[in-house]
Amino acid sequence: MPSAPFSPPPIRLTATGCLTALGDAASTHAALLSHQRALQLHPVLGRDGGDSVPLALLPQRSLDETAPPNWLAHLDTLGAQIPAADWGSSRLPVFVTSSNFGVGSLYAFQRTRDPAHLASGTPFASVDRIRQHFGWGANVSILSHACVSAHLGLLLATRTLHAGLADRALVFTFDFVSPFVAGGFHALKILNSGFPAPYAARDTGSIGLGDGAAFAVLEHPDASPSAPNTFLLHAQSLYNEMHHFTANRADGSGFAACLEPVAAAARDQRLWIKGHGTGTLEAGRLEAETLAHLFPAAPLVSWKGSLGHTLGSCGLVELALAVESLRDGRVPGTIGSEPPFFRDNVAAEPFSTAAFDAVLLTSNAFGGAHAATLLNPD
Amino acid sequence: MLHRHIVALRTDAPGAEDLAATRERLRDAFPRNATRRMTQLGLLLGGVLHDLAPTENDTVVYASVYGETRALEDYLTSFPTPSPTLFQTSIHPSGIQQVLIARQQPIRQFFPHTGQRHLLAHAVQSALLSPSPRTLLCGGEERGTWLLEHDAASGDTFAFALALSSDSANALGSLRLEQTTAAESALEAELRLPRFFSALVQREPLSLPAAPGLILTLSWN
Repeated sequence: MPSAPFSPPPIRLTATGCLTALGDAASTHAALLSHQRALQLHPVLGRDGGDSVPLALLPQRSLDETAPPNWLAHLDTLGAQIPAADWGSSRLPVFVTSSNFGVGSLYAFQRTRDPAHLASGTPFASVDRIRQHFGWGANVSILSHACVSAHLGLLLATRTLHAGLADRALVFTFDFVSPFVAGGFHALKILNSGFPAPYAARDTGSIGLGDGAAFAVLEHPDASPSAPNTFLLHAQSLYNEMHHFTANRADGSGFAACLEPVAAAARDQRLWIKGHGTGTLEAGRLEAETLAHLFPAAPLVSWKGSLGHTLGSCGLVELALAVESLRDGRVPGTIGSEPPFFRDNVAAEPFSTAAFDAVLLTSNAFGGAHAATLLNPD
Repeated sequence: MLHRHIVALRTDAPGAEDLAATRERLRDAFPRNATRRMTQLGLLLGGVLHDLAPTENDTVVYASVYGETRALEDYLTSFPTPSPTLFQTSIHPSGIQQVLIARQQPIRQFFPHTGQRHLLAHAVQSALLSPSPRTLLCGGEERGTWLLEHDAASGDTFAFALALSSDSANALGSLRLEQTTAAESALEAELRLPRFFSALVQREPLSLPAAPGLILTLSWN
C-alpha cells in the first residue's frame, strides 16, 4: 500500500474511549444513532450572561470554572477505561493534547481574583494536575495545535513506537468549554444563536462547542498477534496552509494537499468518512467538495451537529466514536443537518459499515491546519 | 540514540526592548505591512527564522511554555466584550502562524509543543524523530505583565531557531537524545527552555538528563 509523505508505517490501536456530554463512547454512539442532540442554549459568558449559544457541557458541569477545576472529577469515568499500566514511565509514554487546557481557570482568576484558580491555569499546570490525578509518571509530552492537536499526538506516538523508544503509548486529550473560548468564538461571530448544521447549504453558518475528552492506546503491530476489535492507523497525514488564521485557500488546495496522500494509501478500499464539519459555511463547502472529488463513493458524516465542536479533543473523541461504529456495525448520520447539502456525499441518516473496508477521519484548525487518519480493522 | 547535526542557529534576546522597537528593528525580515498586528514573540520568531527560510517539506517543531502571553493577558482583560483578534492571537501556536502566514508559507509537518520542565526534551525528541530532510526546532517566550506577577508568564523575552539535518556538511554542532534507564529515578531531571536558550547563545556544551529517562547532549564543532 503506498504511503503518504512522512506518514509513518501502520500502528495498532488497541484501546480507545471518549467522554462527551452524552456519556462514554458506547452511550454517545447510541445517542447519535437515535439523532439525539447534546447541544443546548447557554449564556455565552456563563453566570455573567450574554447571548445564548449552543453548548454541550458534561452533565452537571457549569460553564464557570471552580477550583479545583470542575472537569477533573469527570475524567475518572474515562480514566477507568484506560488499560492499567505504568503510564508515564520511560517505555510507556503519555502524549497529552489540548487546545484550551485549563484556560477556563485563568478566566476565572481574572474574573474573581481567587488565586486558587492559578494552580490549573497554565497548560503545564493543568496537565500536571491530570498526571497526578491518574498517578502517571513524568514521561508526558504535551502538544497543542488547536483542533488538530489529537492527530499530532497520535502521529508523534506512532513515530515514538516505530523508533523503538516505547512499548506502548497512551494518547490522552481533553478540552472543556469556558467563557474564555465561548466568548472568543462568539466574538468571531461563528458561535451564535443558531445550531450547527454541518455541510448544509444555508445562509448562515453556526457552530456549537462541546466538552470532550478521549484516549487511545497504541502499540507496534509486531508487538503481539492481532486480536479481535483492534484496528490499524494505516496512514496519517498533516498539512498547514498558513494562508490565513480563519480562512482556507479558496481553491481547496489545502484540503487536497492533506488528503491526496491518504487517497493514494486508501486506493481500492471502500471508505466512509468522518469529516470535520463544524457547521461553518465556506470551510464546510470546501471540505465536502474536496472529499467528494477525491473519494466520490464515500459517504461523509459529521457529529458536531450533536456534540458540538470539542476543539483540541475532537480528533480523538471522534476516532473513539468511529471505532464504536465499526464494532457496532452502524455509523450515525450527520445530526442537525438536512438537504440541500453542499454536495451529495453527505449522509444525513445512519448507515451500515458492512459495505466498507475502512474509515477516513479528518480534522481542520485555525491557520489552515489539516489532519487525516486512515483507520482499518486489524 | 537519536541524532541530528545543527546546520544553522539564530537567537534573539532583546532584553527590555518594547514591541514598537522590536517591530522597527525586525521590519526587514517581513513583507511590507505584515508586522502591524504581530506580537513581540511572533516578531522574534520571524526574525530567527528569516534566514532559515522554512519550506513546505521542512518539519517545524515549536516549543513555548507560555506562548502568546501578552495577547492572552489583553484578551482576558477585554471581557465582557472579548476581542476576536486577541482571542485568535492568544491561541497556541499563534507565534509561528503569524510568521508563516505573513510569508504565505505552507508547512506539511508542524508540531507545537508546550509544557515546562520537560518541554525541551520532548520537543527535541519530536524534532529528531522527524523523517524530513530538514527540521527547524524553534521556540521562545515573551515577558508577561500582570500574569507574570502571578507566576503564570515568562520573565524574559527570547527566541531561537535551529536547523537540524542528517547531513554533517557545515555543521555547527549536534543534538543527541539518548534513552536511558539510569535516569529513570531522576524525577528531578529537567532542562527548561531558558537554560537551553542560554546554552545556544553561549555555544555551551550540555550533557544532562533533560527528562526522566532522556539524556540530551548538545555539542559544538
